[in-house]
Amino acid sequence: MNASLMILEIIVGIAALGLLLVDLWMPVSQKKFLGYAAAAVLGIVLIYSFYAPQFSGLFNGQTQLFAFGNMYVLDPLALYFKRFFLVAAIIVLFMAVEFADRIDTGISEFYALILFALLGMMYAASANDFVMVFVSLELITVTFYVLTSYQRAKQASLEAGIKYLILGALSSAVLVFGIALVFGVSGTTSFPRILAQNQTLIGSPIFLLGSLMVLCGIAFKIAAFPFQSWAPDVYQGSPGPVTAFLAVGSKAAGFVLLLRILFGSLPDVVTHWPHVLIIISGISILYGNLCAIPQRNLKRLLGYSSISNAGYILLGVAALSREGDVAVLYYLLGYLFTVLGAFAVINRITRGQENEDISLLAGLYQRSPLLALCLTLSMASLVGVPSVAGFMGKFLLVMAAIQKGAGDPAYYILVFITIAGVGISAYYYFGVVRAIYFSKNATDLSPIPISLPTRMIIYVCMAGMIYLGLFPQAFISLASNAVKVLHG
Amino acid sequence: MNDTKLAWMILFLPLLSAAAIALFTQKFRRLSIGISIASVVATFLMSVACFFQFHGVNVADSTVEWISIDSLSFEIGVHIDSLSLLMLLVVTGIGSLIHIYSSVYMKEDRAVSRYFASLSLFMFSMLGIVLSTNFLQMFIFWELVGVSSYLLIGFWYEREAAADACKKAFITNRIGDFGFLLGIIIIWSITQTLSFTKLQDLLHTSPWLLGGMATLSGVCIFGGAMGKSAQFPLHVWLPDAMEGPTPVSALIHAATMVAAGVYMLCRVFFIFTPDALHFIAYIGAITALLAALIAVQQNDIKRILAYSTLSQLGYMVMAVGVAAPGAAMFHLVTHAFFKAMLFLGAGSVIHALHHEQDIWKMGGLKEKMPVTFWTFLAGTMALCGVPFFSGFYSKDAILAAAWDNGWLFGIGIIAAVLTTFYMFRLVFVAFYGEARSESSDHAHESPKAMTVPLMILLVPSVIGGYIGISQMLAHFFVPHGGETGHEGSVFDPLAPFGHAPMAALLGFLAVLVGVAAAYTLYYKADEDPIPFKMRMLARMMRNRFYFDEIYAVFINYTHEGLAKFADFVDRWVIGGAVHQAHGSTESAGRALRIVQTGSLQTYTFLFAAGLAVVLYLVLIH
Repeated sequence: MNASLMILEIIVGIAALGLLLVDLWMPVSQKKFLGYAAAAVLGIVLIYSFYAPQFSGLFNGQTQLFAFGNMYVLDPLALYFKRFFLVAAIIVLFMAVEFADRIDTGISEFYALILFALLGMMYAASANDFVMVFVSLELITVTFYVLTSYQRAKQASLEAGIKYLILGALSSAVLVFGIALVFGVSGTTSFPRILAQNQTLIGSPIFLLGSLMVLCGIAFKIAAFPFQSWAPDVYQGSPGPVTAFLAVGSKAAGFVLLLRILFGSLPDVVTHWPHVLIIISGISILYGNLCAIPQRNLKRLLGYSSISNAGYILLGVAALSREGDVAVLYYLLGYLFTVLGAFAVINRITRGQENEDISLLAGLYQRSPLLALCLTLSMASLVGVPSVAGFMGKFLLVMAAIQKGAGDPAYYILVFITIAGVGISAYYYFGVVRAIYFSKNATDLSPIPISLPTRMIIYVCMAGMIYLGLFPQAFISLASNAVKVLHG
Repeated sequence: MNDTKLAWMILFLPLLSAAAIALFTQKFRRLSIGISIASVVATFLMSVACFFQFHGVNVADSTVEWISIDSLSFEIGVHIDSLSLLMLLVVTGIGSLIHIYSSVYMKEDRAVSRYFASLSLFMFSMLGIVLSTNFLQMFIFWELVGVSSYLLIGFWYEREAAADACKKAFITNRIGDFGFLLGIIIIWSITQTLSFTKLQDLLHTSPWLLGGMATLSGVCIFGGAMGKSAQFPLHVWLPDAMEGPTPVSALIHAATMVAAGVYMLCRVFFIFTPDALHFIAYIGAITALLAALIAVQQNDIKRILAYSTLSQLGYMVMAVGVAAPGAAMFHLVTHAFFKAMLFLGAGSVIHALHHEQDIWKMGGLKEKMPVTFWTFLAGTMALCGVPFFSGFYSKDAILAAAWDNGWLFGIGIIAAVLTTFYMFRLVFVAFYGEARSESSDHAHESPKAMTVPLMILLVPSVIGGYIGISQMLAHFFVPHGGETGHEGSVFDPLAPFGHAPMAALLGFLAVLVGVAAAYTLYYKADEDPIPFKMRMLARMMRNRFYFDEIYAVFINYTHEGLAKFADFVDRWVIGGAVHQAHGSTESAGRALRIVQTGSLQTYTFLFAAGLAVVLYLVLIH
């Protein structure tokens, strides 16, 4: 009824289909550059999102706009995440162009799939109905099944694809089963209607079971314990740009759905078992950080790191407060620049190499100071060194949890675990920094040429990390405005 | 009068310099040096101007809001009072001299721009700590100081030892910061504010506000100081930090950064309960004694000075612990002068001897390097506490404050004897006697840019004790419940003997005993007699009481053990159990040969098990 609200998604969808079509006429040698065209379109969409006349209601103070019988909602939260995904996708497309020579065939489809995944994420940001949740998540997951196994000649990539496929299917099964149970009890899949019946539904164990299964399905997407087992293998095996997109986009999509569901449809359920989120968060932090210590493969290391980061972000969700949600949004933004910066470097240095071992970093400082600096900043951000984005994010998360601590001491325990986890993580992130600057017996000291696109990605990511670390207020206000809809 | 623009400029000028060098002038070595020196000299001049501007004004605060989300709000700002003004002068003053000195010392290094960029970054972070208005700001700059110190310790990253040293420094400091952060969190969760002035007002009006957490929060906060000021048992990183260039050792690991812990304790002195102070005093005393004992058997000139720094930091911390923050700050200031001078003197020797650091390969330098010798001797006398030298007055203030506690006073005196002993050992061995190596035979006096800073530092090192520093501090701390040694008139070099005669006399006696012992054993000696006479003890001292070894074992058994344990559980216990349980499905799984056998089943099983556990915990429990 109000399809024009979905203008951003529509453009992205058309661009994805157009890409497949243009591919037919494009000479093989030129196909690689379609990625720039796609990125340009996304750039226009990003800019358009600030001026779209369809959204004027939002700019003029209306809080929420609805389309398709309330299944689709457009509000500041949705816009925040849509822009987030667009930025991530643009950077990932640049990475993909750089990566093109490592993909045997079908580079245009590769770009198109990235756009389809993006489409799923953008729909997820606007989900206001369980059907919408399911459809958007499947759109994301199914495209990632293909993307993870895109390097068909590499066994690791295929292995990653199959693992993601089977475990992802399993999690979807749990999710859809949960949705069915919720629907069975409440007779609707619409968030507002479920919200309205919350008081009566809360007594039904079937309803609780259903909600819990939905949340477990989402926990898989964000790679939180105990649904984390896929992350290290899939991160390690997938092509670099896909891992990067998985780490940033897919995780953030999981979190926006979590926020929508928790606050938009099931708030009373959560208060029914407040400690689940706290426990999952705490164990994820410890598990991810401890398992990362012995890792030597860079991508696998970041896989474990992503589990611990899921734990940190869940801390903000668990606070169930506006401050907590602001921290979640802020942290994700910092995480975007941090992780994409790290992957830009990793993709560059693993080019033409057999492995992805930490030892590849030997002598990186001499070989390319820029790459060394970017990776160092990323690690500093992940450890939480002040003046880089990660510190500010962690700080806001912890503060949000402490604010709730007076009412429930469990939060203090979680804060303690978080700080201990950050301390442990210094150990292995430091190992990366050490490898960059202090490796002895670096065999190859030839300078690494960096192409312009990679250079641009790196500059953008470094600027993002530093800006968010030093001048947090602008984006905190933005995030604060975005989460207003969740807290009445 | 209360215009704080100047203070803001002092804070940000070094950052500007660091950024300019890092981004634009990497390739132009002279320009980089020029920018860095100009910025630090300018901050010094502005600090002097600031000093006169705010002299007599009690407190000036200027803050801007940095983050605010609904009920949360944090600020950054500059806080000016006697304490921060004094510290500003010390940091920028010594900083200026060391920048100038470095321009010669580091001239040949190929990464000189990186060196000066890091040095400017350090100045920025250090000034940030000094001017902090609240705990959050202090913590952030605290970490930045750690980062810049890390960059400078590891400056010669090609050396394995430098790489290990900066890792050790970073991780040891993080342990301390863990406590610091916990302390900050405790305080924030109870009082909902981190601002120093607000906290002080709150605690003034309701002293029992922190309740049962008061001591704990104090001890946690002290954890931060233990890391940064290298107090036992986190002292291990400082001697290794000497792997950095010598001017860095002088500026950061002797005069300023390591003193940040003491400064922080004085800044937030009002939050410590008597029990917490007790703890602080004993940690300080143990550090003072232990480090002095270790220094007796070290042979590397920089390491001897490093352990002496540890020992003096112990003194300062002990002074805070006996409720004499004024005395602690007083000693901090005088120590900053003479220890910077000693390190620069050591650097001058090392420079002249082509990077020889073993004192037993020196000898006879007295005639060859007269300026270095005389300034070094003056520094030694100040450090030992010879009357009329600055160290005497500040050390006496501490000893006088510790007088009521026999144990602490006794340790203070013993450490003073040891200090004199090892410092004169150093002087006798390195500067007297015959040259014991070829390089010391050919030594020359260092160039002007290196000796002039030495001579400038000589002045405050000598007269620093009676130019009114202690009176200024006494003024500041008296309303806070602290007490300093003397409040007499300025320019009275004999005041200590009138104020607390016993403490002053015993301190003086300690110096005499120490010099006599060192003279007997080491004057014109060719080798160290102690290892032959006291084998066991000497070996323990030489090996630094095996702290590093103990820690290495400890870390092996806990940190890495824990990681291995997690890995083990992940791989074998969970994986293995599932392997057993799923023997039958495994044959089916062979169809997917491409996948590592078993592991996908494992994951699927784990997924299902996880789901079951979550459902069980939430719904049945």
